[in-house]
Amino acid sequence: MIQLFHVSKNFGPSIALNTIDIKIAKGEFVFVTGPSGAGKTTLLRLIFGAEKPATGHILINAINLNRISRSKLDLLRRKIGFVFQDFKLLPKKTVFENVAIALEVTGFRPKVVKKKTHQTLRLVGLAEKEKAYPLSLSGGEQQRVAIARAIVKDPLILLADEPTGNLDPDLTREIMTLFKNIHQRGTTVVIATHSRQLLEGTDCRTIVLNQGNISGDTR
Amino acid sequence: MGLRFYFLRQALLNMKRNVTVHILSLGTIVASLLILGAFLLLFGNLSNWLRQWGTALSMSVYLKDGTSAYKRDKIDSFIRGLPGAQIRRFISKEDAMNELKAALREEAGFLERLTHNPLPASYEVVFEASRTEEIDPEKIKQQLEALDGVEEVQHNRQWLKRLEGVLDVVSLIGYIIGGLLCLCVVFIVTNTIKLTIYSRRDEIEILKLVGATDWFIKLPFLLEGMMQGILGGGLAILALFLGYLAFSAKKIYLIGPAPLEFVFLPVGYVAIVFFLSTVLGIIGSFIAIGRFFDV
Ligand SMILES: Nc1ncnc2c1ncn2[C@@H]1O[C@H](COP(=O)(O)OP(=O)(O)O)[C@@H](O)[C@H]1O
Ligand SMILES: [Mg+2]
Repeated sequence: MIQLFHVSKNFGPSIALNTIDIKIAKGEFVFVTGPSGAGKTTLLRLIFGAEKPATGHILINAINLNRISRSKLDLLRRKIGFVFQDFKLLPKKTVFENVAIALEVTGFRPKVVKKKTHQTLRLVGLAEKEKAYPLSLSGGEQQRVAIARAIVKDPLILLADEPTGNLDPDLTREIMTLFKNIHQRGTTVVIATHSRQLLEGTDCRTIVLNQGNISGDTR
Repeated sequence: MGLRFYFLRQALLNMKRNVTVHILSLGTIVASLLILGAFLLLFGNLSNWLRQWGTALSMSVYLKDGTSAYKRDKIDSFIRGLPGAQIRRFISKEDAMNELKAALREEAGFLERLTHNPLPASYEVVFEASRTEEIDPEKIKQQLEALDGVEEVQHNRQWLKRLEGVLDVVSLIGYIIGGLLCLCVVFIVTNTIKLTIYSRRDEIEILKLVGATDWFIKLPFLLEGMMQGILGGGLAILALFLGYLAFSAKKIYLIGPAPLEFVFLPVGYVAIVFFLSTVLGIIGSFIAIGRFFDV
């Protein structure tokens, strides 16, 4: 599903990723971990096509991102859900609108948009907060809105960047359960996190990044 | 179906959110188009009047003093031989003087002190309207002036030629000003749309991140520019029409005894102004959306 061949990425002189190779199969649940600055976010952004690799090739669902046109990338992104570290919610839109936007851009009929958005918000436990505005929500609730927006279009791949960043342990567990549920439905899930706590006792595949190099892979 | 409404709703939402900017720019657009429309209106009427006046061809054939009756007969029959020509009347020296006195009324006193009548006798000749096209007034003027006893020939097309020259210059200036005004409208629309794009840049970033195509994002802005053009054009035409109504209530007696008819822009011109402003709106917003940041 996700394949990286000799991928490097640098920002000026600083090297974020140093010729790495990764293969993630369809339906896998993978953690990407490592200290801050290791290149986790950069890796996710590369997979999402938000950054271009300096060298190497990235294949998503057998499509080479180097060879893809701008409009094809837009279409591909509809199959990838991304939970951003800073959520990227629109403060002037309601929770419902924030989630519905991901369906609206794909041209679904309004009826379908409504139905699916309601469903997804129920799934993340925010059915009561549909009409609220993001800034009136707690951190955990905002996080769940961001997740709802990422999964509302039933993506093939779900990428999440530090999704439990500053949540308390109870909320963290709740969110992880949510990801597991999404994984159950067949979605390939990749979660970047620097939290050891999150990985404790997990039997999921874990890729460890260190200063742009892969220093461990539990596969 | 839902998508079309989405774009329209977005465009309207943009306008609502930046209502001050839109009103300001709309005002400027209307003003620009109004100047353009007013110019078209005046120019159109001016050339109308000129055409009406120009299609009728008339001549004054002035005679030398002391032209004998025999010579006058020859001139008379020559004129009658011209295609479509008709002698409306012969004005003798005395008639001319009397008419001048009548025209001057109280101020006519100084004419009494003249020892002789300086005014020439003349024929007033008109040509049938249907045949004026085939007549070359300059040629006839030359032929007539070659006749013995004819002092000078004047025809109304001499004046027309000069006025048409003036009109050409005026229309050239009109084109230049019109072009500048159009540029001005495009510039205003471009900047307005740039502002609304700027005010929505966070949303645009997110739209791109959730997989919106470029056109999905651009279309509402294009619609927004188009609506500015449509609104601007419509309001300008309305304002022009109201101005015309107020102005045309007073009949204008500029030249001649008949009041000149002041008409509004023909429907075709109204359509052109409207179409132009719509196109300018689209061009303006097209320029504004041209450079979209990559995410
Ligand atoms: N947009 C950017 N501009 C410059 N440097 C960047 C940018 N994004 C990441 N980097 C650098 O690349 C390296 C990896 O960053 P990142 O992928 O964010 O690490 P992580 O998510 O593991 O903390 C860091 O040294 C960081 O400073
Ligand atoms: Mg990071």
